[in-house]
Amino acid sequence: MPVKEKEPLIMHPRPSSIVAALYTLRDLDTDVVILHGPPGCSFKHARLLEEDGMRVVTTSLDESGFVFGGHDSLVEVLEKVIKRFNPKRIGIVGTCASMIIGEELHEAVTEVQPDVPVIEVEVHAGYRDNTKGVIIALESALAAGIISEAEFERQKSLLKEATMVEKRHGAASKEYLEPNRGDLKFRVAERLLELMKQGKKGLNILNAKKETAFMFADINLAVTQTAEKLGVSSNIVNMVNLDVNVGLPKNRRNAREVRDELTQKGMEIHHIIGGLDEYPIAGNNASQIIGEKYSDFDFAVITGVPHALPMDNIKHMELFSITNGPRQVVPLKEMGHKHVVVEIDLHPKTLGVNHIVESEFGATLRELAKDA
Amino acid sequence: MPKQIAIYGKGGIGKSSTASNVAAACADEGYRVTIIGCDPKSDSSITLLRGRRIPTIMDLMRQGMDIREEDIIFSGYKGVKCVEIGGPEPGIGCAGRGIIVAISLLKKISKAIEDTDLVIYDVPGDIVCGGFVAPVKKGLVNEAYVLTSGEYMPLYAANNICKGLSRLEMTLNGVICNSRGAPNEEVIVGEFAKEIGSRLLAFIPKDVLVQTCEREGLSVIEKAPDSAIAGVYRKLAQAIMAEKEAQIPKPLDDKRLRELTRI
Repeated sequence: MPVKEKEPLIMHPRPSSIVAALYTLRDLDTDVVILHGPPGCSFKHARLLEEDGMRVVTTSLDESGFVFGGHDSLVEVLEKVIKRFNPKRIGIVGTCASMIIGEELHEAVTEVQPDVPVIEVEVHAGYRDNTKGVIIALESALAAGIISEAEFERQKSLLKEATMVEKRHGAASKEYLEPNRGDLKFRVAERLLELMKQGKKGLNILNAKKETAFMFADINLAVTQTAEKLGVSSNIVNMVNLDVNVGLPKNRRNAREVRDELTQKGMEIHHIIGGLDEYPIAGNNASQIIGEKYSDFDFAVITGVPHALPMDNIKHMELFSITNGPRQVVPLKEMGHKHVVVEIDLHPKTLGVNHIVESEFGATLRELAKDA
Repeated sequence: MPKQIAIYGKGGIGKSSTASNVAAACADEGYRVTIIGCDPKSDSSITLLRGRRIPTIMDLMRQGMDIREEDIIFSGYKGVKCVEIGGPEPGIGCAGRGIIVAISLLKKISKAIEDTDLVIYDVPGDIVCGGFVAPVKKGLVNEAYVLTSGEYMPLYAANNICKGLSRLEMTLNGVICNSRGAPNEEVIVGEFAKEIGSRLLAFIPKDVLVQTCEREGLSVIEKAPDSAIAGVYRKLAQAIMAEKEAQIPKPLDDKRLRELTRI
């Protein structure tokens, strides 16, 4: 009997599969999601997702719901949701509490018989990798005929890669990761400016996960603008994961919005390394291009998911990495990234927007460049 | 689609004995049979395996096994496929969740459920929480049977099970009387079956031979194939395999139930 290699315990809290399912439903343009569980479950993200236009409501299970079951509450909320919001597409998402007591989401749907598609996601937060929540949501979307088999398989292989990226150098790489604010933005921007002034050649790479591109792209834009100001534009090569032809509807829209704004603000895009949901594999594409054409470059600015970029072809460069995860700082340093900057609370600021949002590091660089 | 049945009844009333003897009798008839023990005690199939205990699904999951069909399905008497779901020790963790998880896994990895003529789910006596009805709710059970004696408490439990079935809009395919030697049992259970809108499928007399065989880790069908009690199980097996009408049961009120057992 094959015994799975015992996976090491990880103690720091990590992203939730329930929340991952919620974000996936948003990407599938779901109008309203019912969280079947206690009122506080996934509160912070449920609130944030409303900024993106998706409503999230809860069946508010309490002690008596845990004991007697929550079927009636789910039926009631489903009926109310249909009446109040007139949604075109509904999601129902499980929680730890409702799944442990064996709630059947489908029973409520059978009873209410809505006229619109309902994506039922039987998920709880007890999975080692939060990508499991995405897979379960996509399986349900496939079952409901909302995505194609091909798109489902594509997503599944991307998620597998995403999980591997986190295991290798990300949030799942160590038993415990200390959160860290990263290097001082001012010092890092100063050093970057210095290299550019010296006429060093640099790569300017955006490898962002979905909507986080709205802020990470601001840093790449700031690098472009600074180079222009210094008259060294030709020293900088831009690579972005903004392919507008792949991914779920929202990801394609966002890729187009960011790409168009970058172009309009004067940034020339030299290489498209993938789509916004391809951050786990776009790094490999970037690495290949670098190996072929830019192996003699001096530095690289990598925003978004810098740890998804293999080190082979960039290890001799001075690396400037910008992440939004305080627990990502230590793994990046260990990989050999010299400068690691954290954009704290980046994600919330990229919800509900369709334009590039100013970043602290971008602003710092622009400010320093003024005196250059 | 195979006949997928669950036998319900009060704890200790003889569900596992009935299930394993029916499984053995059907195997004798040439049917391909799978028995799935859903009780955390994991002893549903023990008399089909000559007293051997098999690893349970939950045991393997707990050890982090990458579970394949052949790790959890064991061939018993005349090729009856035996599966035990297992679960935690009494008073620890959540046995109900265990059943939900194991049933989803079975659905995913097992062809045994499709490649058989009869699947018997041996469910625990007391449906104490949502997990214990997972086989029904996940659509794995298409026929339900109730096992009871003619005593008040087992009938009370049987009636409660009918309440549960009617709530799930699940039909009842028959009532089986497992005699405890109480007076007038066959009449009482027959009347109960009629009043809830079903029928008495078999009357299994009390016979010490069942205990004797079980102690040796064998079914009556295997150990004493020519005994009268083996004949009763064979007849029950035929009745189960036969097509018959089934209705959603109409549970009785407690007053009527008390009257009934006073006959």
